[in-house]
Amino acid sequence: MKKKYIAIALSGMLVLNGCTNLMENVLDETSVTGLSDRQAADGIIAPVYALLPNIFQHTNYFALQEISTDEAILPYRGGTDWGDNGIYLAMHTHTNTSTDPNVRNTWNLILQGMSRSITAINTLPTLNDPVAKTYLAEARGMRAYYSMLTLDLYGLIFVKDNLNTNSKILRGEQAVEYIKNELLAVEPNLETNVGPGRLTKGAVWGLLARLHLNAAVYRDRFASSFTFKPEDMDKVIEYTDKIISSGQYQLAKEYFSVFNDNNHDNKELIFAVDQRADLNGHNRMAYFSLSGDQFPLPAFPAANGTDGPGITPDYYQTWVKAYAPQDPSVDPRFHKQNLEIYTNPDATCVAADNFHINRGILRGQQFGLIRKNGAFLKCADGRMLVGPLFNDSRNRPTLPVNFTEKIDFTVAGSDYNTGYRVEKYEFSRKSVSGRNFGEADIIILRLADVYLMRAEAKLRKGGGEASALADVNTVRASRTATTPPPPLSSMSLDLLYRERGFELYWEMVRRTDMIRFGKYEDTWTEKTNTDKQKRVFPIPQTAIDGASNLPGYLQQNAGY
Amino acid sequence: MKQIYSSPPPLLRIGALLLALLWLSPPQVYGQRAELASARDSDTRSHTTSSSKKAVDISVSGRVTDAGTNDPLVGCTVVVKGTQRGTNTDASGNYTITVPNESSVLVFGYIGYEKQEVAVGSRSTINISLKTEASNLSQVVVIGYGSTTKKDMTGAVKSLKSTDFNQGIINSPEQLLQGKVAGVNVVSASGEPGANQNISIRGPGGVRTGSTPLFVLDGMALDNSSTGGAINPLNFLNPQDIESIDVLKDASATAIYGSRGANGVILITTKKGKAGVSTFNYNGSLGISNLARALPVFTADEFRKQVTAVGGVLEDRGASTDWQKEITRTAYTQNHNLSFGGGADKLSYYASVGVQKQQGILKNSDLNRYSGRINVTQRFLEDRLTLDVNLNATYTQNQRPPIVSLLGGAISANPTFPAYDDKGEPFQYQGGTNPLIPLKLEKDITTINRVIANISPSFKITKDLVYKLNIGVDNSSSVRDIQLLSNAVPQVDGRLETYHTYNRNTLVENYFTYTLTRSKSNLTALLGHSYQKIFVQGRNTSINKFPLGSIEPIYNPGIGQELTLVNNRPGGFALENELQSFFSRVNYQYNDKYLLTATVRADGSSKFGANNKYGIFPSISAGWRLSEEEFLKSGPFTDLKLRAGWGKTGNQEIPSKITQALFTSQVSSSTSYPLLPTGPYPAGTSYSRLANPDIQWEVSTQTDIGLDFSLFNGALSGTLDYFNKVSNNILLEVIPADPVQPAGTFWTNVPDMTIVNKGVELELNYRYTAANGLRFDLGGNVTFINNLVSNSPYSVIPSGSASGSGLTSATINGYINEQPIGTFFLKEFTGFNDKGINTFRDVDGDGIITDKDRVPMGTALPTRQYNLNTSLAYKGFDLIVNFNGVAGNKVYDNTANANFYKLRLSKGLNTTAEAIAFPDESINNSAPVSSRYLKDGAFFRLNNLSLGYNLNTKALGVDRWISGIRLSATGQNLFVITNYDGYDPEVNTDRTINGISSYGIDYLSYPKARTLVLGLNLTF
Repeated sequence: MKKKYIAIALSGMLVLNGCTNLMENVLDETSVTGLSDRQAADGIIAPVYALLPNIFQHTNYFALQEISTDEAILPYRGGTDWGDNGIYLAMHTHTNTSTDPNVRNTWNLILQGMSRSITAINTLPTLNDPVAKTYLAEARGMRAYYSMLTLDLYGLIFVKDNLNTNSKILRGEQAVEYIKNELLAVEPNLETNVGPGRLTKGAVWGLLARLHLNAAVYRDRFASSFTFKPEDMDKVIEYTDKIISSGQYQLAKEYFSVFNDNNHDNKELIFAVDQRADLNGHNRMAYFSLSGDQFPLPAFPAANGTDGPGITPDYYQTWVKAYAPQDPSVDPRFHKQNLEIYTNPDATCVAADNFHINRGILRGQQFGLIRKNGAFLKCADGRMLVGPLFNDSRNRPTLPVNFTEKIDFTVAGSDYNTGYRVEKYEFSRKSVSGRNFGEADIIILRLADVYLMRAEAKLRKGGGEASALADVNTVRASRTATTPPPPLSSMSLDLLYRERGFELYWEMVRRTDMIRFGKYEDTWTEKTNTDKQKRVFPIPQTAIDGASNLPGYLQQNAGY
Repeated sequence: MKQIYSSPPPLLRIGALLLALLWLSPPQVYGQRAELASARDSDTRSHTTSSSKKAVDISVSGRVTDAGTNDPLVGCTVVVKGTQRGTNTDASGNYTITVPNESSVLVFGYIGYEKQEVAVGSRSTINISLKTEASNLSQVVVIGYGSTTKKDMTGAVKSLKSTDFNQGIINSPEQLLQGKVAGVNVVSASGEPGANQNISIRGPGGVRTGSTPLFVLDGMALDNSSTGGAINPLNFLNPQDIESIDVLKDASATAIYGSRGANGVILITTKKGKAGVSTFNYNGSLGISNLARALPVFTADEFRKQVTAVGGVLEDRGASTDWQKEITRTAYTQNHNLSFGGGADKLSYYASVGVQKQQGILKNSDLNRYSGRINVTQRFLEDRLTLDVNLNATYTQNQRPPIVSLLGGAISANPTFPAYDDKGEPFQYQGGTNPLIPLKLEKDITTINRVIANISPSFKITKDLVYKLNIGVDNSSSVRDIQLLSNAVPQVDGRLETYHTYNRNTLVENYFTYTLTRSKSNLTALLGHSYQKIFVQGRNTSINKFPLGSIEPIYNPGIGQELTLVNNRPGGFALENELQSFFSRVNYQYNDKYLLTATVRADGSSKFGANNKYGIFPSISAGWRLSEEEFLKSGPFTDLKLRAGWGKTGNQEIPSKITQALFTSQVSSSTSYPLLPTGPYPAGTSYSRLANPDIQWEVSTQTDIGLDFSLFNGALSGTLDYFNKVSNNILLEVIPADPVQPAGTFWTNVPDMTIVNKGVELELNYRYTAANGLRFDLGGNVTFINNLVSNSPYSVIPSGSASGSGLTSATINGYINEQPIGTFFLKEFTGFNDKGINTFRDVDGDGIITDKDRVPMGTALPTRQYNLNTSLAYKGFDLIVNFNGVAGNKVYDNTANANFYKLRLSKGLNTTAEAIAFPDESINNSAPVSSRYLKDGAFFRLNNLSLGYNLNTKALGVDRWISGIRLSATGQNLFVITNYDGYDPEVNTDRTINGISSYGIDYLSYPKARTLVLGLNLTF
């Protein structure tokens, strides 16, 4: 009797439970199956590029390359905004630490992009579609590009071909050689006409030129002066020549058209982050320097600026001195007026479709759409009313949005209205939310930079002043949509450095330029640190902590 | 009774009845003595005459009293031995019962009293006085897959009966035991009705979230996942249905729950019916709550003076608005509960329905709970087969206002602005925020339906061997709607977000219990198997841009005009976890002196990696009842027991799917990229998670040494425990050594890292009974606990992200080696420089203040917790007072950090006097995160004061219909003594970073209420 009951009970147990092997059943994630080789190839190369919009964000690569320089400064606005635990002050004064979240995020994104490149490098050779060969070259080239970024920012690169092994860490000459060889290896297999959003032959030539131009810095990062080898300069000239003589690229007649929404088709672009309004685009480059009371889009009363960084007075003075006694606005790269009210006080009504804010460097009292109680004011005829702006959204309705030259970390210098602002990229009108859904491509490399790199190489090599001057003036003279900037009459490294500042301001090359030209330890607004060790950023503390179980593997950069 | 059932509007009627009774009660008080005296003489007679149905049966009646006080014992059970026939005593302690013949034996039982058996004989009146039990030694303790008595326990377990619970408005079971159990810390996240309760038993053993104890309801292990909305998932349980709560604290007690025992186990047992005893109860209460303490922001007059004084520009609109008053209200809570129970020969049941309609003290804040429960026990096959069925269904509805904008606006809005304009609409002012506008436009409503049922037949295979099957289902579904109305001024487009959550938890358990009794020794052995499957799913949708002045979007989302993938991409997730376990326990007892318990559980979980599917969790404990030894028999000890236990338990509350790599293919902004000028974007295929097939549970090894004692015939009793809980194999999301990885982090166990919780718990109870009937109890407990993190691979694990403008990216908590969990890792504020700007200690001496100058500044975990409770009973009155407090902890006042500094005042935003506390501070000084806003979190609270009175129904002449009427008045949160100057020091705003728990942060948290609850309890 007893046994029978036990048997019944035990069999009941089995019937009710069955057996489970406890393998986890994943319900909400798809792993990929059933793709054609072409789909698989497309699917594996897209992620290699996909993090670029994130990397090129205002708080990531932009902050590292611009706020650390004289081109941009971001104070604790009004004691309430952009405080962010002091990270923007530290970035500008070269006192940032290994816990800086922007330094960390940029690192994480670049290295994640690199790991996706490695995944693609391992997967693409197994696919039989003809496109796989090109994609393989692009993936490997992008790995080299990501390495260039880590070398420039953090002073080291990670080398590996298999995701399951630990990378070899290279620095200095070895790192330069590795990147160079990788770029050279992929160049033959790249396309010429899939840019600017993807890596092309032209893009690789440009990256090689950039690498050789900075090689002296990368080889001996903390030198008191850099030794630019003539053979490097020859290579810079060789690759820039290739780009220029390819005839594929063209300097734009209108300077700001290079930064317009539709710049994807602008022939000046060689390599850029392809932003699409319906996929991956953001408008951060356009909105974050503007005032919180500047509204660039009539359709979006919530899409305002953030009173982010302005330019330092030191940088501004380079313009003033260059054009004195004239106003720097004679240079069409400095400013473009789109709103008539600035020069004609009666032009207070603008049709919504015609409303475009000014571009370039914005100074003084700003005019624009007036938002009261959350809606824009309109003229009687239904057009948009434009007028002088005040800091209404800051609860300071009597403080005009009047950008001043003075901007620093003092109380007066960090008010909401201080500093001249930059509106280089157009604010996307395809946006459906105002701030998101940008579509302008963010430029990594463009033809004007190529001309200026060639000019610099000629100067550094010695004896090439006339030819360098011609390159610089070619760029100047190309902006014929309005009166182009006057040609220069002489050329020197200092003038070339200044010219790079005029042409490429806020394009995320300033820090690299300052280091190469030996200016990074100079003094400018609020920045007095002369520590050469700051030429590289700290390796994020999280990475150092993560590697602590492999003693000696990942060493913090000296000085941090 | 009719009144109670007739529905709308019950509040008024119940309120009127309550008030009427309250007014009536004082004269009753004085009249009662005489009534009682006469009742004593006459009650036996009146009952014998009124009840005799069958001539063959003998009717017996009498009165049951307390042997010490002579007070009547109300609700005492009287059962005819060997039958299901029984009754219980009325409010005067009287009973009447019919027995079959003269040889019948009556059994009198009452919780806390020694049982008595009396043969009827020829008597028709049997008055009984019951003796109180010495230190509740035979009190039943539920221990998981069984029960034992307090006397035989070898582990650290605290058993709370319903009479011990906290009174008042209760949303979840954690609140019932706050302060009642040494070693258990219950911290409400905020004062919001139904807010999450952070409960930890003997300190947190991990840095992640998910350090919550395991809750087991009538044998059904609950999943701690959210059931939707922003409220505690345990709100579904009607506290009135709870019979007892047993808290298993040490590993020897919790190891039977294996990989889920590391954070302690809380066993909840609901009320059951008793055969032969019919009960019918109505319980109603009305709670009146008010804001306990407003933040002392400047009044309009002070504001005018202070803004000018600091050199700010005053915009004066002439009004005098108390914004905190505008957003709060006197909140009413009504609670009605109807329960009945009873049983016949083979069947017993308990059933209840309950309604709690609670208003929060912030406007538009409501929590309504409608619950029903049926517990049935049926016996078959000559009582060999017993079938238990428990069914609970709850419908919860929660409406939340936009709390952060409401509070943030109210404490900073200019008090000279009027709240409303001439049309009675919230006043709209340029540049500022009127909190009444978000109150009007935003709404967050969650409704949750949850049904829990379990059926557990048990079969007596032989006299000694019982097989039990337990099948349970816990199913809930919820909908949360977050609605933003469109509006013209200020311009708002309107949006509706809808979140669906589904939870399903199924359990099948089989176990055998074998009992062997010999003359001197006792053995109980348990062997079982358990399989549990948990399914959680969430889905969300949204739509934007609603036409102005239209109907509310929740009633017709279709009128929304904008759907874009970026703003309205539907989302969702689903996960399924399986647990399979084998468990066993042996209890051995020799000569009532020596006790031994050993348990083992093998737990397998689908959350664990392929290489570590099963974990083994053993424990062993022993007890020695010294008081039974000859050499102590003559001493003052009624009971003296030494306990010692050791065991290993686990924590498997780790994220799902982390053992497996994820290789997904999707079109998204971070995985896809345009490859061609036009055409669709390719779905990007990428890794988003690294596999770790070795992942397993966190291990907690705990040693406990305890002493249970009872002296002077039980007048003084207590428990002393020392514990040392060491958690290792800590689960962390770590960064690989080589940073070139598909995902920046992966989950792993860090074997060397340990988190130690060490401490001492002491509970003392003193009971005094005077000859005149006065009973007095004084009890308390105190816990000393220290927590320490060691061998963490990280220099600091940050948590607690700061909130407020200018504070982005700053963190408040940081877990570092040789410091406790909950540590505040901050720059040390040292004052102001000559310009009135903050200065901080330059720890590394490099001349600049950076993140490297942060230092540990104390912890949010209290090092001391204490509770003091006293009760006083005299005649029909009883008074219960309950204090609790903590010390040694700090609170980070992020609210003040973001709002109360001079610069804000100078900009015309309101502040408290804290902003002008430093005359040297410049109005241009910012307020970064630092120790300036770190405050002492110690407090001492009068948590609960309850005064009750039992009316004499006989004197009122209603005893034929109502056998008991009890009136009570309870005050909750009557006062708090603390140095903390925020709303309340008991606060824990969740500012988790990457799943690492934050502690002790106060950011615009829902303020606490002070509540008066008037209650009426009717027994029929």
